Amino acid sequence: MKKNYSNPVGVSKYTGLLLTSPFIIGFLVFILCPFIMSFLLGLTDYDYSGSPDFIGFGNFREMFSNSEFRNSALVTLKYAAILVPLKLIVSLFTALLLSLEIKGIGFFRTAFYVPSILGANLSVVIMWQYLFTGGGLVNQLLELIGFSPVSWYGEPSNAMAIIVLLRLWEFGSTMIIFLNALKEIPTELYDAAKVDGCGKIGSFFAITLPMLKKTIFINLILQIIAAVQEFNAPYMLTKGGPLKSTYTMGMYIYDEMFVYNNVGYANAVSWVMFAALAVIIAAMYAVSGKAGRSVR
Amino acid sequence: MCRHLIPKAAALCCCTALLASCGRAETSAAVRPDGNLDECTLRFSWWGGDDRHEATLEAIELWNELHPEIRIIPEYGGWDGWTEKINSQISGGNAPDVMQVNYDWLVTLSRDGTGFYDLGDLGNYLDLSGFDSETLSFGMINDRLNAVTVSMSGRGLFYNSQVYDRVGAEYPATWQELLSLGNTFSNYGCYPIDLDIQSGGTAWYLAVVYVQQQTGKTFITMDGELGFDISDIKMALDFYKSLEDNHVIRTVRQRSDEDGSSALYQSAEFIGGNVGGVFEWGSAIGKYEAVLDENVLECGPYLTDGNGNSSGWMIKPSLMYAISSSCAYPDEAAAFMNFLLNDSGCAEILGTSRGIPASSYARDELEKSGHIDGLSKQSTDMLLELDTITVSPYMELSRMKDFYNTAIEQISYGNTDTETAASEMYESIKNYLEKLKS
Repeated sequence: MKKNYSNPVGVSKYTGLLLTSPFIIGFLVFILCPFIMSFLLGLTDYDYSGSPDFIGFGNFREMFSNSEFRNSALVTLKYAAILVPLKLIVSLFTALLLSLEIKGIGFFRTAFYVPSILGANLSVVIMWQYLFTGGGLVNQLLELIGFSPVSWYGEPSNAMAIIVLLRLWEFGSTMIIFLNALKEIPTELYDAAKVDGCGKIGSFFAITLPMLKKTIFINLILQIIAAVQEFNAPYMLTKGGPLKSTYTMGMYIYDEMFVYNNVGYANAVSWVMFAALAVIIAAMYAVSGKAGRSVR
Repeated sequence: MCRHLIPKAAALCCCTALLASCGRAETSAAVRPDGNLDECTLRFSWWGGDDRHEATLEAIELWNELHPEIRIIPEYGGWDGWTEKINSQISGGNAPDVMQVNYDWLVTLSRDGTGFYDLGDLGNYLDLSGFDSETLSFGMINDRLNAVTVSMSGRGLFYNSQVYDRVGAEYPATWQELLSLGNTFSNYGCYPIDLDIQSGGTAWYLAVVYVQQQTGKTFITMDGELGFDISDIKMALDFYKSLEDNHVIRTVRQRSDEDGSSALYQSAEFIGGNVGGVFEWGSAIGKYEAVLDENVLECGPYLTDGNGNSSGWMIKPSLMYAISSSCAYPDEAAAFMNFLLNDSGCAEILGTSRGIPASSYARDELEKSGHIDGLSKQSTDMLLELDTITVSPYMELSRMKDFYNTAIEQISYGNTDTETAASEMYESIKNYLEKLKS
């Protein structure tokens, strides 16, 4: 027998729409509209002064012949290629350690997570300056153990390293995702492996890693997106220098948009960055899908 | 069919509206002055160091006491990132009503003269009789007065007297003396001066002064023509390199290592006395003074070639005030701007925190009360004795500073020779100036 339920809200064909309207309006106003507008601006020569003139794909053509654009794209790729694998390895390793049920583990989980909520804010930048400038703590320690001081901010490759280190230090969010996934792995699998004579390292490669495949993939995607969009850390720490060695695409877009008033061009670059990210991620999904099917 | 048409039509309307809104801020008509002072709240924004912030906040307090019906909301901060903030506010139609603006913003934000309110329409409340016509001309674009000069200023050399006493050196009077000081200072592990290459493009300015004095040419003319050729730019870069090679200034690598991303006046090297001097606008020297003991920073002579040639030094409207083109209360904003520029009580409070006032009313008031002193005054007085060149607003553009800094960084790191750097810089500047005018 069909049962009727009364609904205090009053169900009508518009109720669902009404209830979801805050999100829909927010999405339209704050995401979809700026998204479309950004593309339209990318087709103009708008520079804050006067009205925008439609120039078609002129900005896109200019971009690919621009050495600064190429440099920023290369810097971003290099940054992502160094940071993303390092961050995944460090996060996973720490998550493995923190998954051990020992006394006081909650304190360590909190302590490792806290840096990830700090971001690249002013206090963190000041701390980094105290650590890595000429007479900073890191160089003092290096000298104490007999090494020569390192030119952290002045040497292009080292400047990249201190930005990578800052973001690496903020591995908490990635680690928490791994930690959660580790807890989902049935302990029976490890027990069975133990009975079969499999050691801890063998269990890690035979059980843990395969079971974490989806989590690693999600973390990989999230970290690639964050790395390609990097702006704060180089802006605050190095201003993109020295010799533009830390001048990421995020900084390039920011400078073109707000410093050089090249609004149309900056929006075109944003779209290229978006398209590149979308292609990379789509390719990764395609490859992981194929890999998944071949395993089955 | 109708079901398919409606979403398509909605999407088309949305796109059209979005494209049309790109130029909304510029095309909307400005509110006309009505000749009355109504009750309102206005936003006033400026950048600067702590000395300027404190003085300006006190002046706003005085205004709020005198005119409780027109409340002023202050918005202020340091120079770094300020241009970006104002650009985003203007593009978003959310610009402050009254703004302290930089000289080059008139070129970038008001190319046709409509980017800011025409102050010529606000004569009821804005008294410009205290300004000479040349000073006013700096804010004029297409016969519209976009901004009023707050003060005229030039970059001068300022020295930490304690450092010079410690080293036992005199302030240099010629370029040669400056170069030879490096050797003396190196024995003490410090530097006679230092030049920031970040936001201000300071290093390039000093090199330009040197070349202008040697050649009699002007780097960029007021109408945006490049006056230097490749050999002049090379001479400037060679001069910069000689400063580094002679231990007069730190190398870019050293500066990055020792200061990180800190500005020179915030760096341990300057505050700790390892850097003996700076090259700075007279109107902005307060921030360097504030971090040292009182009266330690002193104004040095403008360098000459040793044969009496002291030309080439530059002067410009250091700061200007403008009213947003979208200001809803132009009369009230004009009244407040008049207070900032001409009022005697305000002049007493602001003193020389924005340089020596260009308004004769404010200047007379400060002279009468004996408050027109300090480094800014000394520097301006010395400049007035020289055959100065007015800085072109084109020289100050952010993109141009990127060209200067890129070249200087490249030669400082030894990645290129001065000839190649000069040639690349010449092409970049020439192309950019041509693009701006096209």
